[in-house]
Parts: sequence; structure tokens; C-alpha cells
Amino acid sequence: MAGIVCRTVNRIISSQASCSTSMVAVRHSHWFTSVLSLKTSMPLRAEPKKKKKVDPRREIMMKERLKKKLKRLEKVPPELIPIEDFITPAKCFDETRIRDAPKLSFEESERRALLLKEWSRYKYAQHQTEMDAIKEALEAQRQALDELKLESEELYKAAVSPDTDIFPFQHEGPSYTPPITNYEAPEGKYNNITRVYTQ
Amino acid sequence: MAAPFTRVCRPLWRIITTTTLNKGARNISSSRQQWSAQNVKTAVAASPWALHGAVCLQRLPVVSQDRSPIEEEFMELMHQMELERSLLSDHELRLLEDAARMSRKQEEDYDSDEEDEDYRDKEIVTAQDLEDTWEQKLKQFQPAPRSQGVDKKDMGSSELCLADSLILLVKKDVGSQKLWLLPQIQWQMGETLRQTAERALASLPGADLKATFLGNAPCGFYKYKYPKDIQKEDSVGAKVFFFKAVLSGHKHLPLEKNSFAWVKKDELQDFLKPEYLKQVRRFIMAL
Repeated sequence: MAGIVCRTVNRIISSQASCSTSMVAVRHSHWFTSVLSLKTSMPLRAEPKKKKKVDPRREIMMKERLKKKLKRLEKVPPELIPIEDFITPAKCFDETRIRDAPKLSFEESERRALLLKEWSRYKYAQHQTEMDAIKEALEAQRQALDELKLESEELYKAAVSPDTDIFPFQHEGPSYTPPITNYEAPEGKYNNITRVYTQ
Repeated sequence: MAAPFTRVCRPLWRIITTTTLNKGARNISSSRQQWSAQNVKTAVAASPWALHGAVCLQRLPVVSQDRSPIEEEFMELMHQMELERSLLSDHELRLLEDAARMSRKQEEDYDSDEEDEDYRDKEIVTAQDLEDTWEQKLKQFQPAPRSQGVDKKDMGSSELCLADSLILLVKKDVGSQKLWLLPQIQWQMGETLRQTAERALASLPGADLKATFLGNAPCGFYKYKYPKDIQKEDSVGAKVFFFKAVLSGHKHLPLEKNSFAWVKKDELQDFLKPEYLKQVRRFIMAL
């Protein structure tokens, strides 16, 4: 600012010196309202230049406040995805669908009760045989490992080390009828109507 | 003084024999030498056994087992109870509606205008018709029969009893006799026993069997002593360690009848010696 003032003063003085014949005070620039008072010019007196530090800080403060408000709104917990299996469909509450319960005779109910007891006994015996078979097999393995240990430590360590190649283990279980050799299953079309939820 | 003298003498003799006579049957590792020097008693008892690896190859059942009478009865009961406690399905409702409509049509004062808008003029496919078409379609598919028509005497075929798990047996010369055994082979130095078992399976003549071995540990063992005339100081008998394997893949070429057999657990006693059978039965689970 001071530099500009000096420069303008010099110019005025030189201009004044050049046109010294005319003693009229000439305004060389519209910015100088009075020739004598040079120091305050319009640009210097204008208000908008006083921006400095306060306003940027205020703007930053405003932005932070807005961001905090956004965060508070966003903190709402996401809507839980409903488990389709746990919701009974409305169809099941339809009254027209209830069957007439048949009246069981006394013999029939007796037969059912006795059959259930027979079944529990059968299943218990089956379970016991399974458990015994498993225990026997484990015992046989334990004894085999003991014998191997007596034989050689190396082989024992190799036997006891975990086998990484078994898993994943895949085997097709038994079906009702055996698989047909060279059977080509027909191509089936289906429309997938599962609902996909996004959180 | 004889007893301590022999006790001192034996480890030295053992070390000399292990270094000079390189018997394949015995395990000669440096750790073993140190160990045998320390525990004399067990070293003398355990080292003269020859090691063999054997494989217990199982063909798991392909078809589900038949139900026993009580299981049949119980299944019937469960179906009945489930039906009684259920609600009517869409198909059943449709059946009932159709039946009601038919009965209304048969009546004398039947007015077709009283029917619902939807069913007035169209040709309706009743639910009963749908059921008939479904039955027809099902009959077009021929599933494979449950019991394959394989001759029961042909033990070499692995398609025998599809509902049970079968074990592979091999006829082998042991000494002077021919015995039915699980496939076994002598252990060689530098391999684990599981590799011995895999070798035993691979070395079966004419058999291209793919199997998955279940783990590194043996499932059972059997030890027997050689007859007195063959018994020497350093080979008293043999120990056989069994490893379990599951047959993978479906079709296999039928094996020679005289040397191979696929046997159920119940039929094992017809093939194996009693002592051997006693040990083998422990780990074969036929559930």
C-alpha cells in the first residue's frame, strides 16, 4: 500500500513538474478525491477487504457443525434382516384350513402308546451298541499305538502326527436306489424367488 | 553273576548285530540304538518282531438299509400323526372345492349362474387330473433296482450287497498255508507305516482301486509268532498294523474270484482264522 502511494505521489509530482505552467490542480486519477490528501484512497477505505482470519475460521466451524449433525443422524442402528423361517406366513392362520381331528378309538390310542415305548427301547439298544462299537474301535487303536511306540519312536511320531490331506473329505452317502450308470439328468428350469436383503 | 553278566553283555551284542547284520525287518535308527541300550528288557522283547503294514479297505454302503418291522410300524405311525396334526394345503383345498363343485353340478336345481365368475365358462383342470398327470410322469422314470442282479457267489464283485459296507480280503501264501487276509506287505526302511499300507494296496495284482486313507494312525494291530522251526533269535514273529481306508469312485473291474473277496462283517468268520478275526473285528464297524 505504501509502495503504491509512493509511486502515485512520484507520478503526480512528475506530472505536476511537467505541466508546471498550469497551476490548476489536475486530478490524474478519479481515485484521488482531493489532491492534497493522498494518503487515503478509495481502495484503502473500502470495507470488504477486512476478511483476514475470522471468516475462514467461522466457515470451518460451520462445516464441522454440519458434519456432526450428519454423523448423529447416521448413527441409527441398521435395520435387522428378518429371518424368513421364524415368521409364520399368514396362510397358516387361515381358519378354513384346519382339519377335522379324527376320534381315536381306545385300542388305537393304546397301540400308539405301546409302540412309542417299544420304539424308545429299540432306539436305546441301538445307541448302546453304537457306543460300544466306537469304544471298542478306540481301544483297539490305542493299543495299536502303544505297540507301535514299543517298536519305534520314529514310526510312532509319524503315526501320531496330524494328516493334512484328509480334509475336506467328501463321500456320497447311501441313496434309496443305486445310481444308474451313464444317466443324463434332464435340464430343469426354475425361477429363483428368494428375497435378498441388504443392510 | 550270570544274570548281571548277561545283562551287560546283551546290549553290546545287540549293537554289534544291528550294525553288522543289516536285517531289513528290524528298525535300525540311531535313536533306537540309544533307546535299546537304556531299556534292555523291552528292547529284547520288541525288536525281533517283523513289521508289516496292512490296509482295511471298506466299500461303504451305496443303498440305504431295509427297515426292520418295528421301524416300518413306527414310520407309519409318524406319517399318520403328522397328517392328523397338519393344516390343509393349497392342493387339498383345491381338491375339496372341486369335489363340492362336482356335487353341486349333479344336483337337479343346478344353476350355473350361481357359480363364481372365474369358473363359469372355462374348461377347468381339476386337481385330480393334475394328480393323474403327475403319476403318469413318475412312471416314466425307471430307477435302478435296489439289489443288483449279481450272483451271490461272485465274491469278487464290489456290487454285491449294496446296503452293507464290505471289506476286501486277499488270499495269500503264509509259510506253507494259503490264508485269507487283509492285504498286507512287509515294512521297508525309510517309510512310514501308512506308506507301507498304501504300497500294500497298490501292489495287489490286477486291482485298480482308488482309496482314501483315514489318518496317519493305525486302527488295530495283530502279532503272531513264527512256527518254532523258523524262529530265530532276532525274528520271533511279526506285527501287522492295520490302516483304515475308504473306497472312492463307483465302478470297478471285478477282481479275480479265487484271490479276492468283498465280504460283509458277518461273513468274515468264514474266511479268517479265529485269532486274527478277533483282532480285526474290533475296529471294523458295520453299523
